[in-house]
Amino acid sequence: MNQAVLDPGSFRDPGGHVFHHGNRVYRTVNPAVAEDFDKVEASGLIEELVARGWCLAATKVDRDLLGSTSDQPTYLLEHPKIELISYPYEWPFRALKAAALLHLDIQLLALQYDVALSDASAYNIQFQGAKPVFIDRLSFVPYRDGDIWAGHRQFCEQFLNPLLLRSVLGVPHNAWYRGAQEGITTQDLNRMIPLRRKLSWQVFAHVLLQAKFQASAQQADSKSSAPEARKVGLPRASLTGMLTKLRQWIAKLEPRGADKTVWADYATSHSYQTAESEAKARLIADYAADVKPHMIWDLGCNTGDYSKIALEAGAETAIGFDFDQDALDGAFLRSEAENLNLLPLFLDAANPTSGQGWGASERMGLAERATADGVLALAFVHHLAITRNIPLRSLVSWIVGLAPTGVIEFVPKQDAMVQKLLSLRKDIFTDYTEDAFANYLSEVADIVSATQVTESGRKLFRFARTGS
Amino acid sequence: MAKSFLVTMVGIVLLMGTSPAYAYLDPGTGSIILQALLGGIAGAMIAAKLYWAKIKSFFGAKPEPTPSIDVENEQ
Repeated sequence: MNQAVLDPGSFRDPGGHVFHHGNRVYRTVNPAVAEDFDKVEASGLIEELVARGWCLAATKVDRDLLGSTSDQPTYLLEHPKIELISYPYEWPFRALKAAALLHLDIQLLALQYDVALSDASAYNIQFQGAKPVFIDRLSFVPYRDGDIWAGHRQFCEQFLNPLLLRSVLGVPHNAWYRGAQEGITTQDLNRMIPLRRKLSWQVFAHVLLQAKFQASAQQADSKSSAPEARKVGLPRASLTGMLTKLRQWIAKLEPRGADKTVWADYATSHSYQTAESEAKARLIADYAADVKPHMIWDLGCNTGDYSKIALEAGAETAIGFDFDQDALDGAFLRSEAENLNLLPLFLDAANPTSGQGWGASERMGLAERATADGVLALAFVHHLAITRNIPLRSLVSWIVGLAPTGVIEFVPKQDAMVQKLLSLRKDIFTDYTEDAFANYLSEVADIVSATQVTESGRKLFRFARTGS
Repeated sequence: MAKSFLVTMVGIVLLMGTSPAYAYLDPGTGSIILQALLGGIAGAMIAAKLYWAKIKSFFGAKPEPTPSIDVENEQ
């Protein structure tokens, strides 16, 4: 590829843009912001942030590397490539919380260097494993004492409010956030939070007061007092206090109830015997050791047991997908605690994330962002085929389409789990048989091995996609 | 403390009526007014603490380290 391609999500800030050139990622710094860029550079903040792993490295490179583009940059930066760009509506609660804390930590540190963040977009944070990292070098601007926190509203909408939705009301943020890409407005949240929860000072100030001020400013006949308020400004000590208290508060937020949903205690109570899960683990380890996939996708990752096994056996990066919030939170905690290169993400496989935002391409669909080198679909197929009526042939070819190699588990009808799924509905799934599954799989892949792992007849099919 | 906090909250909320709103106005307005208010409260508390420290030192108490801001500490 000779031509640098503008990232379709990088258009909001004329100060610079992200370009992709082959496998490399560049960011332009245009003349209009070059002076601010230099000031921030001279402050020493960025070096400190990169050293702490809070901010993605950015190396100044020769401007000519980019070739001809719409930008005539003063500087050209190169960033290391993020394995998989993920979006806040794909993050589990704990990932969004980690991102929110990182954002506040960066702001607090930046203030000491007389630097501020010009916005608070959650999309400026990405994950490497369970570690959040800030990616937008051009969000850093010089700070002057008295400047208000320009990103406060955005911080509330993109971080705080989605967290409160789950923490106060027990509702996961993902579906709403995906629909309303810029997050959850304070006014909407204010309408939902019950009065007694507003007696906490933080909820009162950041949700109720902010919503009311906003509403009164928007009244048809009122003159906005915002320009006056902006002139009054916010002293540095007040801003620091506000950020510190927000940080302390968010650090304590937990999902409400954390009640047992479908698979919360699956790892201990599911229908496997220990010897059988050992057989399964061994098969996954052998597969990962043979193939050494650079990036493995674990569909229905639950708390990440098999991702971990694959990582230990030879996979470099694992992305776990699940739609169970408690499982995802568990997987995220484990990835953090055990320092795994595992990022658990929310995914409803029957409705995977698609392109959206401006031009329907600002935020990309999952399949457009990255390709997996290996895929695991363990205890996964029956949930989609039986619960969601996804035709088995279509489902098998979708999984095989994700990666050139992988392991798929087939759970037969006589298995306790499938019986449970069928117990409340008519069995209309005439082609849900092992033979049909194997036939569909061999239409698109070579079956490398098929190994029974339980007495109920569960089988692991290892495959290599035809023509890969 | 809790009672006075409640009275303040009710007072502030009552001062703000509800009437038709233009949703396309800048949504950052509420945030800016809130920050001015929080900044004002924090400033007043710092002033009060400094003043209190002066009174105490006048009566011979040992000076405390510089007061920190805990305007948002009330629960």
